[in-house]
Amino acid sequence: MSTHPYLRAYMAGIVVPTLFLLVIFTFFWVMRFVYNVPVPIEHVLVFPMALVPNLWGVWNILYMRLSSRRRWPIGLHGAALVVLLSPIGYLLIGAQQYLIVPPALIALVFASLAVIYYLVWKYVVAFLNAFLGIS
Amino acid sequence: MNEHERERTIELLKGVIRPVEDGGLSGDLWPRMLRRMEEGPMRVPWFDWALAGLVVVLLLLFPGLIPRVLYHL
Repeated sequence: MSTHPYLRAYMAGIVVPTLFLLVIFTFFWVMRFVYNVPVPIEHVLVFPMALVPNLWGVWNILYMRLSSRRRWPIGLHGAALVVLLSPIGYLLIGAQQYLIVPPALIALVFASLAVIYYLVWKYVVAFLNAFLGIS
Repeated sequence: MNEHERERTIELLKGVIRPVEDGGLSGDLWPRMLRRMEEGPMRVPWFDWALAGLVVVLLLLFPGLIPRVLYHL
C-alpha cells in the first residue's frame, strides 16, 4: 500500500473526532432539549463538526511528514494540537456564556485536553496509522 | 448509434481507460499475521494509566469541565 499516503494519513486522522461527534452531539442535544440549558446548539456544534476533524486530518499529515525525517512521538504530536485548537475554539465560542471557561478553570481544561489528546493519538491514531500502512 | 460509431466508441474508451494493473498480493500475509499474534495484547505503561485516571478524577471533581472538554474533541 504505497499510493496516496497523504490521503491515508488524512483519513486516519479524522476517524476519532468524526466518530466522537455523535457523543458530542448527543450530549449537547440532551442539555439543550431535555434539560433546557440555553446552549445555542447550532453555534456550538460548528467547531467540533467542521474544524476539529479536518484539523486532526491535517495534523496527521504533518505527523507523517515530520516522522519521515526524524523520530517524533505521536502522543506529543497529538498533545501539541491542543495549543492550536484551544485558542481557535475559544475565539469561535465568542459570547456563548454557557461555555466560557472561568479563569480558574482554564489551566484544568487545557491540561485535561492535552492528556486526552496525548492518549488518543498515542493509542488510537497510531493504531489507525499502522493499520493503513502510514507508520 | 450505428455499428461503425459503436466500434469507434469502444476504441476510444479502450484508448482512454488504462488496463487494470495486477492487483494480486505482494507477498504472503500469513507470516505477518503470526508475528502480530505473537506480539500479544498491547501493553499500556503505568504512566499512561495514571494520566487517564487523573483526567477522570478531574472531570469528577469539576463536572463543569465536561462540556468545555467535549467541545474540543
